[in-house]
Amino acid sequence: MSIKVHIHSTHRRYTDGQEVVTVEGKTVGECLNHLIQQFPGMEKALFAKKDKLHNVIEVYLNQATAHPNELSKPVKDGDVIHLIIMLAGG
Amino acid sequence: MLTPDERERYDRQILIEEIGLEGQEKLKRSRVAIAGVGGLGSPAAYYLTAAGIGRIRLIDRDRVSLSNLNRQILHWEEDIGKKKVDSAITKLRNLNRMVEVEPIDEEITEGNIHQLMDGVEAIVDAMDNLPTRFILNRCAIEKRIPFFHGAVRSFEGRAMTILPGKSACLRCLYRGPIPEEKFPVIGVAPAIIGSILATEVVKYLLGIGQLLTNRLLMYDGLEAIFTEFTVHRNPECDHCGGIIL
Repeated sequence: MSIKVHIHSTHRRYTDGQEVVTVEGKTVGECLNHLIQQFPGMEKALFAKKDKLHNVIEVYLNQATAHPNELSKPVKDGDVIHLIIMLAGG
Repeated sequence: MLTPDERERYDRQILIEEIGLEGQEKLKRSRVAIAGVGGLGSPAAYYLTAAGIGRIRLIDRDRVSLSNLNRQILHWEEDIGKKKVDSAITKLRNLNRMVEVEPIDEEITEGNIHQLMDGVEAIVDAMDNLPTRFILNRCAIEKRIPFFHGAVRSFEGRAMTILPGKSACLRCLYRGPIPEEKFPVIGVAPAIIGSILATEVVKYLLGIGQLLTNRLLMYDGLEAIFTEFTVHRNPECDHCGGIIL
């Protein structure tokens, strides 16, 4: 199982500048846990508390929204996850 | 009917096959509201005015400040301290006196939103905060008025078009409140997203092209990349979830 996670530019300080990180897991949540194992700084960037993403984090799986219940969405080999920041400025 | 002056003014866009004389007349009969005359509202208002939308309602309660000028191109140094709608209307009238621009210097609230959006065929979301965007979204859903959402931060931006009851609305993406911030931004980001909003409005009014419905278009200026994500209506959405057309 190999899934690619695209890291938002504001979070790349936690991934040593990497834009794309390869992870493993059977769900989006497992993939994010594997991401955090590799880059512990991502935990605070993504999660408000255990199993609860910050409201500002949007998760897209294969270019489609994973909302709601993002973390439980199943993934398969070759899938791509994008982690995006919600924007509200004008 | 277009006047001879209007035919000359819009000559280049009448030449566009998808617009033509009939489309230009349709734009002249159209009424659009722009909520917010700041970074996003400036380019959206400029281009919709230039394109010959018949009536444009501008809504903003703020006054121009020096820190607005890096991105809010409707406002100039001489306008600092003026009401944004007054500053805007001066530029837009000088750009195109054939367009009727209606300035409304009011804060958008749940109490006045339905009145503010009365009689318009499209609402442009050019606000700078999420709570007001959701007031607009709910009103657009309730009044079945197409809603054109744009937002920016830093070098980034996003746009999405909402056809109430038919496509995902802004609230369908809602995860809960987000902290308010003094958001960083450079003017080129709202310039691009505001222009996309104006494009979407024109396309909708003329019934041409493919709208950004169920499509969230993301722009990353630093990487010079546009990315499109598919979104869908959330059946549990507290704004549009119960609507069946």
